[in-house]
Amino acid sequence: MYTQSRRFLGPVLCLITAGFLAVAASTSAPVIAHHAFGAEFDPNRPILLKGPIVKVEWVNPHTWIHVEVTADDGTKEVWMVEGGTPNTLLRRGLRRDYVQPGTVVVVDGYQSKDRTARANARDLTFEDGRKFFMGSSGTGAPYDNDRRQ
Amino acid sequence: MEVVMRCQCQIYGIALIGFLATSIIGHAQNIPRTAAGKPDLSGTYDIATLTPLERPEHFGNKAYLTEEEAAAVERQEFDRHLDRNAASNPNREAPPDGGDGSAGASGNVGGYNTFWIDRGSSPVLLDGQYPTSIIIDPLNGRQPPLTGKGQRRADERALLRRDNSGTAWWMIENGPDAPGPYDNPEIRPLAERCLLGFSSTGGPPMLPALYNNLKRIVQTDEYVMILVEMVHDARVVRIGQQHAPSEIRGWLGDSIGYWDGDTLVVDTTNFNDTPALRGATRDLHVIERFTRVDTDTLHYEFAVEDPNVWTAPWSGEYAWPASDDRVYEYACHEANYSFRGILGGARILEQDVRDGNISNREQ
Repeated sequence: MYTQSRRFLGPVLCLITAGFLAVAASTSAPVIAHHAFGAEFDPNRPILLKGPIVKVEWVNPHTWIHVEVTADDGTKEVWMVEGGTPNTLLRRGLRRDYVQPGTVVVVDGYQSKDRTARANARDLTFEDGRKFFMGSSGTGAPYDNDRRQ
Repeated sequence: MEVVMRCQCQIYGIALIGFLATSIIGHAQNIPRTAAGKPDLSGTYDIATLTPLERPEHFGNKAYLTEEEAAAVERQEFDRHLDRNAASNPNREAPPDGGDGSAGASGNVGGYNTFWIDRGSSPVLLDGQYPTSIIIDPLNGRQPPLTGKGQRRADERALLRRDNSGTAWWMIENGPDAPGPYDNPEIRPLAERCLLGFSSTGGPPMLPALYNNLKRIVQTDEYVMILVEMVHDARVVRIGQQHAPSEIRGWLGDSIGYWDGDTLVVDTTNFNDTPALRGATRDLHVIERFTRVDTDTLHYEFAVEDPNVWTAPWSGEYAWPASDDRVYEYACHEANYSFRGILGGARILEQDVRDGNISNREQ
């Protein structure tokens, strides 16, 4: 059933069927954003990517993190994953150089509707599962610690 | 035209007597002032707040939280972030086919980690109390009922907030030649086109959003400029001037101001057909009051009237706490691969329909 999609998504490590809904819903946040992600990404093309960061575009309101992914057959492809606004992070003391090339990340999300090597970063973590960014209020980030003192 | 405008002003003046008469801000002694002796509103303010625009219905006419309730709200938000930012299983699999179940603008493909959401960590604190809503009139803290036209406009907007099926549903449902929501750039939302902030962040009235909540005010004797972090909207208020001719209109309207004691009153009309305030029309009229109550706080009040949309005027207020943060450039068009992807993706989905591939799942 997914043969064609799997072939197209050569670098994608895994595609799964529905049934993850409850867990996924608890880890994602519906947001009102400057563009609707539903307009850009395809819910029928879930992806999981793992690989080192090769480049970061650090622009408000959207960051783009470029990740080199190696497929099972050894071929490499660079995927771009879309993240949120960097200014919140800056205000919490997290700078661009926090995002170092070579850092291995795990990304799950959905491929762009235009079926290029782009996706949203629904969940972006280090390879040990820690959240890549923890800039929100109430996370124990330096900004919050300062405010709670 | 003059008759119409005078009539509107009279109606509006009557409707806002309560708003103007109930201002509780007195003459503050220890506030920064300009060389001319006017209150100096200059500075950067972070208006992020957990207090909603509209009061949750279960509160009824309860206007304020107790201190214990306010603390509970803060704790709940803190815990929510802790939960959202907990580590994920590094051996997790891809999200579910068909979408992750999230709603709203993320269109069931999921928002990301909460790292970019910054709606503050506490409710509004105003005059030592914690309001349950930003709206204070009507007394239930909610927008008045919509007019028939207002309801129709709301229904039309609701149609745009449909689940993302990953198909060219507009062709499937309405035929191959029917217009679709991605036919050209001009029909995409203003925020998506980097033209206007969403959630009425630029307003007026200026309301909090999920992130990018900084406002920067620069003041001279003749002008007050308010830079909005979201989409870089910049309002320029002309002090002591008259409104522009009615044929000159804009998304942010035309704002003129005058000093009422230590309060800057800003009157805005001349909106175009799509003001930032949800559902409003070109007949929107907004009056705002900016009062610096101390070095750390600006008191912001607003009153709204648009007879096309709401059956009565409504008004609200909240605190704008001063911030040491700086407004970071909003470079909306830089690295904006999204717009290309949205339009290009729609063309591919339309081709799927022409080719008989109704959805990717059926490929």
